[in-house]
Amino acid sequence: MRLAAPLWVLAPALVLVPVLALLPGLSHGGGWELIGQFAWAAFTPSLDPLVLGSAVQGLGVTAGIALLGWAASLVLGLVLGLLSSRTVWRTLGGSAWPAEVIRRLLALPRAIHELLWGLLLLAVLGLKPVVAIAAIAIPYGALVARMTSDLLDALPTRQLESLRAAGAGPIGALLTALGPPLMPQVISYGGYRLECALRSATLLGVFGLGGLGAELRLTLQSLNFSELWTGLWMLLAVMLSLEALLGALRRRWAMPQRFGLHQSGVGRRGREMVLAGLVLVPTLVLVAGALEVNPWQLLEPHPLPPAPPVDWAGVAALPWPPLILNTLVLTLTAAALAVGGAPLLLLLVRPWWWGRALVRLLWALGRLWPPPLTALLLLFVLQPGVLTGALALAFHNLGILGRLLLEASETGAGRSGRTAAEQALEASGSGARLALLYGRFSSVASSYLAYGAYRADVILRESVVVGLVGATGLGSQLLEALSSFAWDQIAALVVAYAALTLLGEDLSDRARRRLLAPPASAAPSLPDAVPA
Amino acid sequence: MADPAVLELESIRVAGRGIPRLDGVSLTLRAGERVALIGPSGAGKSTLLAVANGLIRPDGGTVCWQGEPPARPGSHRRRRQQARIGTLWQDLRLIEELSVQQNINAAQLAGWGWPRALLNLLLPLDSEACTALLQRLDLDPALLSQPVSGLSGGQRQRVALARLLRQDPVLLLADEPLASLDPRLADELLALLLQEAQPPRALLLSLHRPDLLRGFDRVVGLRAGRLVLDAAPAALDPASLEALYAGSAAAA
Repeated sequence: MRLAAPLWVLAPALVLVPVLALLPGLSHGGGWELIGQFAWAAFTPSLDPLVLGSAVQGLGVTAGIALLGWAASLVLGLVLGLLSSRTVWRTLGGSAWPAEVIRRLLALPRAIHELLWGLLLLAVLGLKPVVAIAAIAIPYGALVARMTSDLLDALPTRQLESLRAAGAGPIGALLTALGPPLMPQVISYGGYRLECALRSATLLGVFGLGGLGAELRLTLQSLNFSELWTGLWMLLAVMLSLEALLGALRRRWAMPQRFGLHQSGVGRRGREMVLAGLVLVPTLVLVAGALEVNPWQLLEPHPLPPAPPVDWAGVAALPWPPLILNTLVLTLTAAALAVGGAPLLLLLVRPWWWGRALVRLLWALGRLWPPPLTALLLLFVLQPGVLTGALALAFHNLGILGRLLLEASETGAGRSGRTAAEQALEASGSGARLALLYGRFSSVASSYLAYGAYRADVILRESVVVGLVGATGLGSQLLEALSSFAWDQIAALVVAYAALTLLGEDLSDRARRRLLAPPASAAPSLPDAVPA
Repeated sequence: MADPAVLELESIRVAGRGIPRLDGVSLTLRAGERVALIGPSGAGKSTLLAVANGLIRPDGGTVCWQGEPPARPGSHRRRRQQARIGTLWQDLRLIEELSVQQNINAAQLAGWGWPRALLNLLLPLDSEACTALLQRLDLDPALLSQPVSGLSGGQRQRVALARLLRQDPVLLLADEPLASLDPRLADELLALLLQEAQPPRALLLSLHRPDLLRGFDRVVGLRAGRLVLDAAPAALDPASLEALYAGSAAAA
């Protein structure tokens, strides 16, 4: 017995069996009318000018934080990425060991979620606009740095060597040989990071670091659902237009897709890209002015309350095994629900256009809706716990993975929106669902799961976010420590989190490499022969 | 009494950019008939086959399969109709990641429910039927458990044919199945297809090479979207073939 490719995609959804079995026991009976009111309010958002005005203002702050944090992370990431590239060090100085050292050091900022950075900076600096921006820029910068150096070191160096041999200076040779192949990748990846930054900025707002998130949380907690939906619909509109804009630019500039079955990244219209970059700079300055961002404030800590004496015995006495175990169970459950849930939903609604539209809307809401708010919503009907946190994280990641699954299967599909194999199956009488299962999931299985492995690693980092609203695990312990300024515990918990994340990153890297290893004999690519 | 009609196309028109891709094409295939479809590149052969298997809905004219008009796409009846139409695609359209047996069994998805469709992805189903098919097509049954992506070109072609035969369709359509094969393989595959197309089946096969027309009952020729030739192969004279392909090198 061997699992065939389409089943790999669906297998993670088996986690639904225990989850659905446990759910009735978790429910505390009441609260359904609140969920009903919440759902109904989607159709009756408040149009009060006051509410609209404050939502617009909040959204502006969130978008500004996202934009500035993203831009700072790109600059930071590119510089650090160059500094942690073995190729760059070899070309400039001869030895590559500094690259290794910097690479290792960057693992730490990357392993800590932006929300943790936000709360730590908030504790040290007080509430300033620059806190949220730095909270995004630090971990994102480390991520971009890793991506950049990985891409750089994966490029063939033959051209670089021949330029050097011909007498070109090291910097000129690096720019000429590696710049052109690197740029499309970096620009494409950078675009995706902006989408992530918008989501992160919303999340930071939920925890009071500025912007629309705070209002979302307040209106939810005060059960003011119609006002909540005013903000939500606006956020959805902004997010979907940003995704559409970036998608259109990627296609227009022929940028590589996030994971393409068809690698066609070449890069076109360089002049437009430069122009876009030139427009971006004054925009950033204007936004920074409007938000009254002052980077020097990063150097001005505000007076802290006297720290309690360090108590290592207390740190050691924390219930470490259950904390870690809960965090892992939370992560794996959420990852399996999200990875398996997306194809399952797609299969369920395949025959109906309205079902497909509904699922797309659901996924879009999942992407923009910060997981802690989902957790709060779930607490109306469920008891707090690992499973509640997992459901909240799963909903968010379902939106991200679902979009990816669609993106991946659409790169392989013709104008009809179906792959050739899928079309052939339908032409021989198979139903739309089985054709999707056999004809499309087969071809996307390995790349989708490889992305799923990467996502599991992101979910581990994100588990801190639902931990903060009372789901058990390292996250909730961390919040307690943060609120009591117990620096010893904070340090220990952050280190534990980082260690766990780095371990998870290593595991998911291995899984991904195995999934993406080319098969013994590569399949020939087949043209779409029948005119459709 | 004439044999029952398997496929009836009546005044089919398919719009294209500027000129129509098909213009007033009428064609009837009766049970047992083996028809070759020839014509220069771009004459509309693939379009005609796509209309015949229901992939393209024509902008004008009517299609009838065994006397029935096509049912609503997605409906149960349409799926039963489609199950009786088998297509050998030019690009084969095998599922690379699945095994030979799973690919051959994919032809049964029309009749199978979810349980068997899922089970086929776990355990090899209907091994005897698949083994018999491979033997009939001169393939080693040991290939059944191999992934399709590892097969040679000739083997892939036969697996696609095995899938077609497992479907057991009434109308066999083939879009240039011989185009990418060496002459020996092409002769073999053609012989197999002609042999399988016995009543109540009918075969419509498009091809490029006029030297392979002998085994067919009829030859129809398309040129610029119009049917300009319909004759028995014996009655074909070099002049009419010449006229059909005239200027095609320049047009292609």
